[in-house]
Amino acid sequence: MSSSVKRTVVESDVCIIGSGISAAMVADRLARTTSARIVVVEAGDEAPPLGQRYALRDRYLQYGESPWPNDHLEGYEIEGPLQSRSMQVGGLAMHWGGVTPRWSPEDFRTRSLFGVGTDWPLSYDDLEPFYQEAEELMGVAGEQGPASMDPRSKPFPMSPIPLTYNLTLLREWTAKAGITMWSQPVAKNSRPYGGRAECCRNDTCTPICPIGAKYSPDFTWDRLRAARRITLYPRTLVRKLVLDERSMRIAGAEAVQRTRTDTGTPVEFRAKRFVVAAGYVWSAHLLLLSASSRTPAGIANRSGTVGKFLTGHRNQQAFISLPLRLFPGMNGQHSLLSKQFMRTPPSDRYLRHDLRVWESSFGRGPRLRADDGTLMLGDDIMRDWRARTRTGVARVRAYYDVVPDRSSELTLDTTRRNAWGDPLPKLAFRDAPESAALRDYSIATIRTLFESMAKAGNGTVLQTVEDDGPGWQDHPAGGCRMGDDGSTSVVDRWGRAHDHENLFIVGAPTCVSGSCANATLTFCALALRSAAELARSS
Amino acid sequence: MLSRRTFLGTLAAAIPVAALVRRAHALAVDDITASPRTLHALAEVMLPAEVGRAGTDGATTNFQRWIAGYREGAELLHGYGTSALERSGPTPATRWAAQLDALDAMARKKGSPSFAALELDRRREIVRAELTALNADRIPPVERAPHVALALLAHWYATPDASDRCYEARIGKETCRPLASSARRPMPLTVVRT
Ligand SMILES: Cc1cc2nc3c(=O)[nH]c(=O)nc-3n(C[C@H](O)[C@H](O)[C@H](O)COP(=O)(O)OP(=O)(O)OC[C@H]3O[C@@H](n4cnc5c(N)ncnc54)[C@H](O)[C@@H]3O)c2cc1C
Ligand code: SF4
Repeated sequence: MSSSVKRTVVESDVCIIGSGISAAMVADRLARTTSARIVVVEAGDEAPPLGQRYALRDRYLQYGESPWPNDHLEGYEIEGPLQSRSMQVGGLAMHWGGVTPRWSPEDFRTRSLFGVGTDWPLSYDDLEPFYQEAEELMGVAGEQGPASMDPRSKPFPMSPIPLTYNLTLLREWTAKAGITMWSQPVAKNSRPYGGRAECCRNDTCTPICPIGAKYSPDFTWDRLRAARRITLYPRTLVRKLVLDERSMRIAGAEAVQRTRTDTGTPVEFRAKRFVVAAGYVWSAHLLLLSASSRTPAGIANRSGTVGKFLTGHRNQQAFISLPLRLFPGMNGQHSLLSKQFMRTPPSDRYLRHDLRVWESSFGRGPRLRADDGTLMLGDDIMRDWRARTRTGVARVRAYYDVVPDRSSELTLDTTRRNAWGDPLPKLAFRDAPESAALRDYSIATIRTLFESMAKAGNGTVLQTVEDDGPGWQDHPAGGCRMGDDGSTSVVDRWGRAHDHENLFIVGAPTCVSGSCANATLTFCALALRSAAELARSS
Repeated sequence: MLSRRTFLGTLAAAIPVAALVRRAHALAVDDITASPRTLHALAEVMLPAEVGRAGTDGATTNFQRWIAGYREGAELLHGYGTSALERSGPTPATRWAAQLDALDAMARKKGSPSFAALELDRRREIVRAELTALNADRIPPVERAPHVALALLAHWYATPDASDRCYEARIGKETCRPLASSARRPMPLTVVRT
C-alpha cells in the first residue's frame, strides 16, 4: 500500500466487523433498541440481488457453477479444513441450509452432568429468550417436539414445514424403532413472513434459495440500509485492531478498501465500541494479526487462548433400504429430527448425539450396467431403474459431540500471506484425550442404533460412513471461547473481551463446545445476547 | 481427410489460447445445432422409446442448449470443508462434435449415407461398440462424459421428467410446487410403454 495514499477515517458508535448472520443479529438488535450510529465492515463483495437468483440457481443446477460468483478473496487457500471459502455480504449463511435446531440444556453443563468437557458460564435458560428472538428475526418454521426433549417457552414463529408423504412414512418407521421424531425446525417460510415468500420446496436451499423463502442475512442488511440505520462497507478488509494509546480500549480498526485493480485504499474505522463478528476463523485470525508491543500475543489474548479450543461435531451416516414405496424429490432437504439421544441421563460412558432422517435415492439412480455387467441402452436403463426403485432408501445421520483439545487450534501461517502481506490462518482440529478415547465407542453405538432401526423396518443398512473429510468437524466454532476466568478464556459470558472493555466478540468463536446439532441458531442467540449487553452498557 | 468438426477439435486441443478455444466452442455448437439429425438419431438409441418423438425432440433441443450455454473456467460451487476452489474444465463441445462426425463416418463404412439413416438396431450396435471400447461403466456428470452418447443420456436422466417416469408419479423434483401438497402421495403419471 502506498504511503502517499490518503487514509479515510470513518467514525461511529459501534463498528461491527463482518456481515454474516451473527453480525446481522447484532446490528438488528442495536438498530431496534438504541440510537447508535452503526457501521458494518465486510471484506467480501455484495451478494447478487434476489432478482438474479433464479438464473444463478439454473446455472448451478445445469453446470454446477457457484451461484455466488466471486464470493471469495483471491489467494486465501489455507492449510487445514476451512468450512467454506465464501466471504461476501451475508457470509456463509448465503449458502446455508437454514437448519435451526436449538441445542439442549445439557450442552452447557457437560462437566457437571457427565464429567466431560467444560461447562459454559451460561445456561440454556440464560440463552432461551435469545433463541426465541433469533427464531423470530429469521423466521423459523418448526414443530414443538415432546416438551421433555424440546424445551421452549413460546411457540415457533411459524407452523412447521409440512412432512412430505415420504417423511410421514419414514416417521412411522422410526416410531417402530422406538424413536420419536418430528419436523426439523428451519429458517424457511412455511407462510409468507418478514416480507419474503412461502417456500415452494424446489429443494436448492443449500446453496441458493431463488425466492427468498430461506432466511439469509442480506435481507436484514437490505432492510437496515433502506431504513438508514446502518452504513455497510463491502470489499473492506479489516487488517488490524489498534489499541488506544493510554488505555486497553480499542481505538480503531485499520482496514483496506479493496479495488479490482490494485491492493486498495486504506480506511480507518474509529468507534466507541467494536464488535468482531467475523466467524470462527477470521475473528481469532484478526485478533492474532493485531499483535503490538503492548499485546505481543495479539488483542484479547492475555490468556493465550485466542485461536485455541476450536470445536465442532462429527457424524455417522447410514443409508438404509426399506420396503417402502418412496418418491424422492418431494422436498429432499427437509428432514425428521430427534433429540432423544441428546438428552440422555448420565451413564458409564459419555455419548450424546442427534438423529435426522431424510428421503434418499442412494444407490437407486439410473445406471448403465446391469448387475451382470451388461451395458444397457434405451428402454433397458429405464426398466432397470424402475425395478430398483420399487422400494425406498432412507438417509440417517447422527452428529455426536467432540470435546476440543487446547491444541485444536488456529495459528498464523507465515508461509502463506494475503495480498497485503498478512499471514493467513492455519487450522487443525484435535480431540481432547477424553473425547478421543470415546470415539470408537461412539461410532460403534451409533452403528448399532442404525442396525436396529433397519431391523425394525425389515430393512438393510446399505452403507455407513462419516460424511466429513479427514480432520474436519462440522459447524465449527470456538477460537475465542467464553468463560468467567480471564486466564483461561478470551471473552466473558456476554462476549466482552476480558482484556478490552469496549470489544465484543460474538457468535461462533465464543462457543466453549460444539454440541451435536447444527449450530448457527445458537451462534445467533449468543450474538443477540452480546448485543443486549452492549446496548445495556452503552 | 479431417472433417471440419474433427479439425476444430484438434485445433482447440492443440492451441489452448482462450480466444481460439472460445471460437472453437462456438463453431462446434453451431455445427451440432445446425445439423441435429445425428444427435436426434442418437437420442433414439439412448432414451427409452416411451418418451416418443416429442420427448426425443425435447431432450435433443435441451441438450443442445446445454452445450451452447457451457462456460469454460466458470467458478464451481465451493467445496464444503476446504478452501480449494474449482473451475469448469475445457469445453466438451468440440470433442462431442467430432464424435458425432465419427458416428456418421462409421455409418458410411457400413454403406449408409449417415448414422441417422441406419435402422435403430444398427445404430445401437455402433453405440454399444463405442461405449464398450471406452469401458463406460456409469452415467457420468454431463460435462465429464467421455462420449456424446453418455452426455445426452446423463443430461436427460437428470431431468424431473426422467424421474417422474421412473416413479410413474408427478413428483416434479426441483421445481416450484405448493408446500401443502407435499403431504400427499404424488399423483400417478400414466406412462405409455412401447
Ligand atoms: C454450505 C453450507 C451449509 C450450511 N448449512 C447450515 C445449516 O443448515 N444449519 C446451520 O446451523 N449451519 C449451517 N451452515 C453453517 C453456517 O452457515 C455458519 O455457521 C454461519 O453462517 C456462520 O456465521 P458467522 O456470522 O459466524 O460467520 P460468517 O458467515 O463466516 O461471517 C463472517 C463474515 O465476516 C467477514 N470477515 C471476515 N474477516 C473479516 C475482516 N477481517 N474484515 C472484514 N470482514 C471480515 C467474512 O467475509 C464473512 O462475510 C452451513 C454452512 C455452509 C457453508
Ligand atoms: S425448498 Fe426451495 S423455496 Fe424452499 S427454502 Fe429451499 S430453496 Fe427456498
